[in-house]
Amino acid sequence: MTATPIHEPTGVIHDIGYRHYDGRRLGRGSAVAALTLHSLRGVFGLGRPARSKIMPFGLLVVMLLPAVVTVAIMMLVKQQGMGYPGFTATMQTVLAIFLATQAPYLVAPDLRFRVLPLYLSRPVTVLDYVGAKLAAMTLAMLVLMVLPLTVMFLGELLADLPGPGHTGEFFAALATSVLYAVMLACVGTAIASFTPRRGLGVAAVIAFYLLTSAISGVIYGVLASLSRDGAAEWAMLINPFFAVDAVQVWLFDTPPGNGVGYPDGLGGPIALLGVLALIALAVLALIMRYRKAASS
Amino acid sequence: MTILATEGLTRRFPRVTALDQLSVTVGPGVTGLVGANGAGKSTLIKILLGLLEPTAGNAQVLDMDVTTRGAEIRRAVGYMPEHDCLPPDVSATEFVVHMAQMSGLPRTNARERAADTLRHVGLYEERYRPIGGYSTGMKQRVKLAQALVHDPRLVFLDEPTNGLDPQGRDEMLGLIRRIGTEFGISVLVTSHLLGELERVCDHVIVIDGGKLLRSSAISDFTQATQTVAVEVEEGQEQLAARLADLGQTVTPHGRLLMVQVAGPETYDAVRDAVCDLDLRLIRLEQGRQRIEDVFRGSAAALDLAGQVPA
Repeated sequence: MTATPIHEPTGVIHDIGYRHYDGRRLGRGSAVAALTLHSLRGVFGLGRPARSKIMPFGLLVVMLLPAVVTVAIMMLVKQQGMGYPGFTATMQTVLAIFLATQAPYLVAPDLRFRVLPLYLSRPVTVLDYVGAKLAAMTLAMLVLMVLPLTVMFLGELLADLPGPGHTGEFFAALATSVLYAVMLACVGTAIASFTPRRGLGVAAVIAFYLLTSAISGVIYGVLASLSRDGAAEWAMLINPFFAVDAVQVWLFDTPPGNGVGYPDGLGGPIALLGVLALIALAVLALIMRYRKAASS
Repeated sequence: MTILATEGLTRRFPRVTALDQLSVTVGPGVTGLVGANGAGKSTLIKILLGLLEPTAGNAQVLDMDVTTRGAEIRRAVGYMPEHDCLPPDVSATEFVVHMAQMSGLPRTNARERAADTLRHVGLYEERYRPIGGYSTGMKQRVKLAQALVHDPRLVFLDEPTNGLDPQGRDEMLGLIRRIGTEFGISVLVTSHLLGELERVCDHVIVIDGGKLLRSSAISDFTQATQTVAVEVEEGQEQLAARLADLGQTVTPHGRLLMVQVAGPETYDAVRDAVCDLDLRLIRLEQGRQRIEDVFRGSAAALDLAGQVPA
């Protein structure tokens, strides 16, 4: 062996050959957790090109704006701005747009680019897959609702408003957010899963929201003009956002977020039943959809 | 040692029987699964992964039954599908790390394995770019990497050379050979080109219409019907006659003469015959056995077998 002097800089990749993996192998649960996290990152465009981040973060900022304004009002005027319980129902359009743009992103590419068979060649099952996707969308919706609520609550604590605090209302709103998130995630994901085309999914989800809110609005308008206010309040419940709000009013006795109120007595329980039925229907549709996709 | 075994495996779809009483055993190393499109290759792989219930018969992969221990099988094997299966907007690194986690590797180990595996399949700087911008060759490498990232004991590669140019094909075949030898991972690789598989496989299984045509070591294939193709400008008949006189088995095949190689003396006979007849030799090449030849051979063998009891 000759000692040859080395002149050029040596950046050598040493081929150490193939090494076997003998480390830990975790169970199905951690795979589902990994899929949930991967999907949640996908919803917010993390680990994706910059243009994927514009929509989710833009909408997050839009959700935060009223909260920031409310905090400013509390700081400067020392008055309660927007209330916690009605916040989500007031911001429903933004939430619906977020759901419509991001839920298809969660499910459509896996169908369109046929990533699903790869997942199913791993230890996870179809149900695990559906569960992870729903969990990711639910968490994403929760972030969108809970973050502004928390900002407002922290603002209230710092502003030290005169009069009684609204801690109870804040926690009522948090609890209701969970119901909102689960319902929206299930419905949005279920609708989006029926087409491998993202654009179509976006249109379908937004159409569902516009349709329910329009029908609810029209029927409410007609009945109210006939001075049948009781019946008109029932029409409000056709809009899924107001249905959840009615449940909140019933359970936590908060002021209604729709400005006119909901039917007394049976209104709350029936709204809750309706929301739960909607969730069940959506989950069932999702499972059937993916059973079919997996076997093809 | 048996890597996988099937017995009387049958799968019927409403309109078609994809697998018909298939019984094969596969040992360690690289095994080729050859068949025309629709021969039942992909159906077989899906059953072996435990994703599709067989209509009848049974199958074991790594000594686990496919109908009862599918999840365990899927933990221990890797799968590279025939079709595109990559999301375009994530990078190869991100995707392969994710798929490693889906197989149960903790995140830090998944990162390490993904980097290793991508290097082994030959993806370097480009692995940080979104997959959507990759060439077909690079995509095939990512597909291969995700099948290997969890260090499986066995990989199913479904048409890995599909859509590759000749050079990419050679590189992919070289990789498959390395997986079987250097990496020590058993491979079941499908193709509709036998010639392609004979370069990398230890053993080849040929199926057609869901039935087993042939299962034997690769050496049997090449030994049994090794031929040399001879093409001359004119005087083909003369040459054929001369070669037959010299004791060679000759079959005309269009403009080519296929001469069965009995040993080195066959080449001498061809050389001498061409020289003696003063013919202009255009081509003298190793006959590539094609899948049709196997079919013809097997059919002939079946005919012979049928004549025995008569």
